[in-house]
Amino acid sequence: MNGYFAFVKKEFTENMKNHRFFILLAVFLAFGMMSAFLARFTPEILAALSAEMEMTSKPVALDAWKQFYKNISGVGFSAVIILYGTCLSGEYSKGTLVLMVTKGLPRKDVILAKYTVAAVLMTISFWGSYALTYGYTALLWPDTRLSNVALAACALWIVGFLYLSILMVGCVLFRQTFTSILFTGGMAAVISLLGIIEPLARFSPFHLTIKNIDLISGIAAPSDFIMPVLTSVVMSISGLLLAIKLFNSKAL
Amino acid sequence: MNVLTIQNLSKSFGKQKIIDHLSMSVPAGSIFGFIGKNGAGKTTTMKMVLGLLQPDNGEIHVCNEKVCFGQTNTNQFIGYLPDVPEFYNYMTPTQYLELCGKVIGLPKREIDQRGQNLLSLVGLSGAGKQIGGFSRGMKQRLGIAQALFTNPKLLICDEPTSALDPVGRKEILDILRKISSSTTVLFSTHILSDVERICDHAAFLNEGKIAVSGTLAEIKALHGHDSLLIEFSDEQELSIFKQQRTIKPLISGSEENAREIILHSQNIKKIQQSLFSVFCETGIYPVKMEIMEPSLESLFLEVIK
Repeated sequence: MNGYFAFVKKEFTENMKNHRFFILLAVFLAFGMMSAFLARFTPEILAALSAEMEMTSKPVALDAWKQFYKNISGVGFSAVIILYGTCLSGEYSKGTLVLMVTKGLPRKDVILAKYTVAAVLMTISFWGSYALTYGYTALLWPDTRLSNVALAACALWIVGFLYLSILMVGCVLFRQTFTSILFTGGMAAVISLLGIIEPLARFSPFHLTIKNIDLISGIAAPSDFIMPVLTSVVMSISGLLLAIKLFNSKAL
Repeated sequence: MNVLTIQNLSKSFGKQKIIDHLSMSVPAGSIFGFIGKNGAGKTTTMKMVLGLLQPDNGEIHVCNEKVCFGQTNTNQFIGYLPDVPEFYNYMTPTQYLELCGKVIGLPKREIDQRGQNLLSLVGLSGAGKQIGGFSRGMKQRLGIAQALFTNPKLLICDEPTSALDPVGRKEILDILRKISSSTTVLFSTHILSDVERICDHAAFLNEGKIAVSGTLAEIKALHGHDSLLIEFSDEQELSIFKQQRTIKPLISGSEENAREIILHSQNIKKIQQSLFSVFCETGIYPVKMEIMEPSLESLFLEVIK
């Protein structure tokens, strides 16, 4: 485990030095702040833009969470994939990994360390964004009580681990950043498409990205999320193991 | 005992065969020059030794352990210096060596001690700036320090001097010579003067195979003939010399340049006997006479013909 911990430390330092973490945190925190404000002031914004435009219903706290899930599952996770898409391609092109691997650093430690750091930084950014959305929503709609808010966020957070796991497979398979990102995007699209086919929908991780609001508003029950969560966890672990297996026999 | 043994190694990229049933061994304690022209397959061979490339055929053993492609235990015996070593540019040399030490699981005190010793060995003990601002020569020296950090039994250097200026080259060769007392060095190059300067063993790689291998003395002895240079005071003397009956059969295949003539023969002593009798008979004595040692360069050119 020496190699793993040493490489985790190196990855943390690198993410600070190349500002990757700060960019990610800024994107997530911006969405955390914007979600509640956009939901609350959209009627005023629309009215200011055009006198003829008017919202038919008054904004509610649920709208703030709708914004949050839309932004984080779309742009937020895209930012994670784009920023971490370079995590192995940069090392391939420069040849920096060769020196570490030829020193006896187990190859699995490289993958596990990169995954750990990306997952931790994604987690910090994600829950930072959640905390801001939660705080501003409570401030702007003080009388609203919503159930399962944290549970709904947990569901989306778990999908983040799955995307990172797919990204790791992509980064091991392809040397170019663009191809790794494209692979992850493609796999996410496939998961989404499979998620709309009825017999698979109950198990699909896609469920975790689209049913969060239903859970908060009480339309969906927490038990509906058990199978998709299990599928996501199994797929994340399988993806990571696949990435390690492929990397163990990758020409460097 | 051999530190490295390669048997029947082959590797192709597409239809192009780069390494073709290559076999060689590197004796422990040697400085081994792995010579070949650009594109001969030196780096490919080294990468296969390090488990970074998968061979199509053949076996490699390092310290009697078989090398596997990918995750391989044999790398614990090896220190590797690539032709262009690249590091994490935001680190200082001390931080980088600390990472190397932690990766192999050394205690902090040992890491600090080895780091200081190695940085002083390669002349970087005062360099506290980030590696990103290093010159090529400094990176090469840090490359040697990191390669030696594990106290390897075998140090593999891939063309360590090819892109350096004469001062940088001399520094790197001096370091390699210095460490050779404790580590076997396998060193690929196409600069033959570097091999003659520090190596005691060498192998010539040509068309994917080892064309010649052995100690430098053995390799030079393989050279088919010796040469003798004779320089006269003027061209007329050379002309008279060439007309002598005893000399005429010797000058076939010779090289001439103004007042000089270079004679080639399998038996240089016999030529010397004839020459001295001619000098006595004619009263023409050369101003210079020199037995030309076969150079690696001439042998290399002969091998790759």
